[in-house]
Amino acid sequence: MSTEALHAPPAKTERNEGQDPIYLRIRDLVYQSCGIYHSEEKMYLLIAACKRRMAVLPERVNTAREYLDMLTNPLKKAQESRELLNQITIGETCLFRSQPQLNALHNVILPEIAAERSKIGLKKLKVWSAGCSTGEEPYTLAMFLMEEKEKLLKDWIFEIQATDLNDNSVEKARAGVYGDYALRNTPELYKRKYFEPAEGNKLRVKDEVKTRITFSRLNLNDDSRMVFMKGMDLIFCCNVLIYFDEVSKKRVVQHFFSNLMPNGCFFLGQAESLFLVNADFRLVHLPGTTVYRKPGPDIPKVGKS
Amino acid sequence: MNTVLRDGLKRRVERLQCLPSSPAVLQPLLELLRQPSNRIDVKRVVQLVSYDKTIAAQCLRIANSPLYGRARETESIHAAVVSLGIQRVEDILMTCCLHKFSSGAKWASDSGVFWRHSLGCATVSRELADRIDYSDPEKAYLAGLLHDLGVLVNSLAYPEEYGAVLKTAAEKGIPLEEQEMQDLGFSHCESGKILGAMWKLPRSIVEVIAFHHSLQAAPEDNPVIALVHISDALCRLRGLGHGYDEWRSVDLAADPAWPALRKHCPQIEKMDLARFTMDLDAFVPRVQALVEAVFTAPKPEQPEVSSVL
Repeated sequence: MSTEALHAPPAKTERNEGQDPIYLRIRDLVYQSCGIYHSEEKMYLLIAACKRRMAVLPERVNTAREYLDMLTNPLKKAQESRELLNQITIGETCLFRSQPQLNALHNVILPEIAAERSKIGLKKLKVWSAGCSTGEEPYTLAMFLMEEKEKLLKDWIFEIQATDLNDNSVEKARAGVYGDYALRNTPELYKRKYFEPAEGNKLRVKDEVKTRITFSRLNLNDDSRMVFMKGMDLIFCCNVLIYFDEVSKKRVVQHFFSNLMPNGCFFLGQAESLFLVNADFRLVHLPGTTVYRKPGPDIPKVGKS
Repeated sequence: MNTVLRDGLKRRVERLQCLPSSPAVLQPLLELLRQPSNRIDVKRVVQLVSYDKTIAAQCLRIANSPLYGRARETESIHAAVVSLGIQRVEDILMTCCLHKFSSGAKWASDSGVFWRHSLGCATVSRELADRIDYSDPEKAYLAGLLHDLGVLVNSLAYPEEYGAVLKTAAEKGIPLEEQEMQDLGFSHCESGKILGAMWKLPRSIVEVIAFHHSLQAAPEDNPVIALVHISDALCRLRGLGHGYDEWRSVDLAADPAWPALRKHCPQIEKMDLARFTMDLDAFVPRVQALVEAVFTAPKPEQPEVSSVL
């Protein structure tokens, strides 16, 4: 199946299925086990993922009810939940995936950081893309920050760390070659400015962008390495924590918290939350997006009343 | 606000009452609202709805809109009243009255924006009330619907000045009330309060109109103020605001509204605010559909409503 087909708009029948109590229970199960939440308008994605699993299972699983039984069966649930998660997150990634996040950075967060740093004359920004997969996120951030460098962040230096557990992903990320689907949200301006033609009608990220990023393999469960990722201003960890159990999730998030500078920001995937995972971060609302923020001594004015 | 300013504002608001579209069914409707719900006369409600043909047609369209999720198309006012329940019908009537009132004059800005925000805030308020086990979700809905009555007043009473206020606020990406204070010297809370009092709205609703941006001054015994304050903030951060993005970060969990609400609704501790926010994204298209239902002119082939009754 092509990736386009995975994200086709919901058909009418699927919309009705979206209110099926069985699928709603699967939704809650997924949310409890990994923190990914499918709101009503996103239910079709969950249902499509379940159906793709049902189609390839060796056991005969024809109905949502039977599939739910499988997800709750003590012998099978661990394996099957993981497979379902793989289906849920498949093909999710592309460059410029979350424009509201970039808007929030551009309009609120970076101006705040810039104002704060100018007081101490430190013009440096450290960013970490934790679980960078095949590089779409760190390249988006690099290009976005290069644009900012021409305006608000003039004379600033920025460092982007991009890490992933999977060696193959890191290799692909380093290569930085993308096709139409991964580039579907990328503005023309960026395509012209920061890419060059590559084989097979694809585009390759220019070296001037690549040099902004340090790619490496990192296991987020590796405490001895996690403690060295200090001094971050922004950490992005989208659709990664879903693969962790509750205990390790809490530990990893605590590492992120310690590694952030005061007032630093932690970005999760669009459907993820830190509810019951971490209470030290503050949930901050911005137009179209939410961010978790590490409290600082002089956190900018918040919560108007 | 000084006395001169307040008197001037009051006179302008009084003049608004003379608009040809002043909603005639509003007063009897509010009388009805004050009855205990088990004593409300369904017949009387149907009568009120049918009193005004435009309102009756609108009522049917809203009842059939996706937000109310009717399984079957409702064709008669009586059926609509029975299937929706009295409280919902009152919500709808109130919406129609407001619409009728607001359509009588020239707007300083796009009136659709005002409607999306009002209906959005009403819907979110009711949903929030449900989730935190607040005892009167319908009151929350009504309060959400009417909380920005002052924006309507300002738009009608100061069509020119207010257009500039909205434009500047949008350009700067700052909250509307801040720009109002700068340019007019008062906010929509003050002007809304005056109209609310003239319309003899219930005290609890007038308090929401007056204090939803100044919780520290709000009476403590009215949790709906805090509830609507939160819904209002969420709507404005999720594309259901005043027609533009406010570029600020809001630490909603640290908002003084929560402690104020917690006293009345201890359930709040168990609410996952991040998840509630995600759910809101699904509201936006439904609210849009409801707004369209309010605005769409009746189709010519639609049966005459009075004959259906």
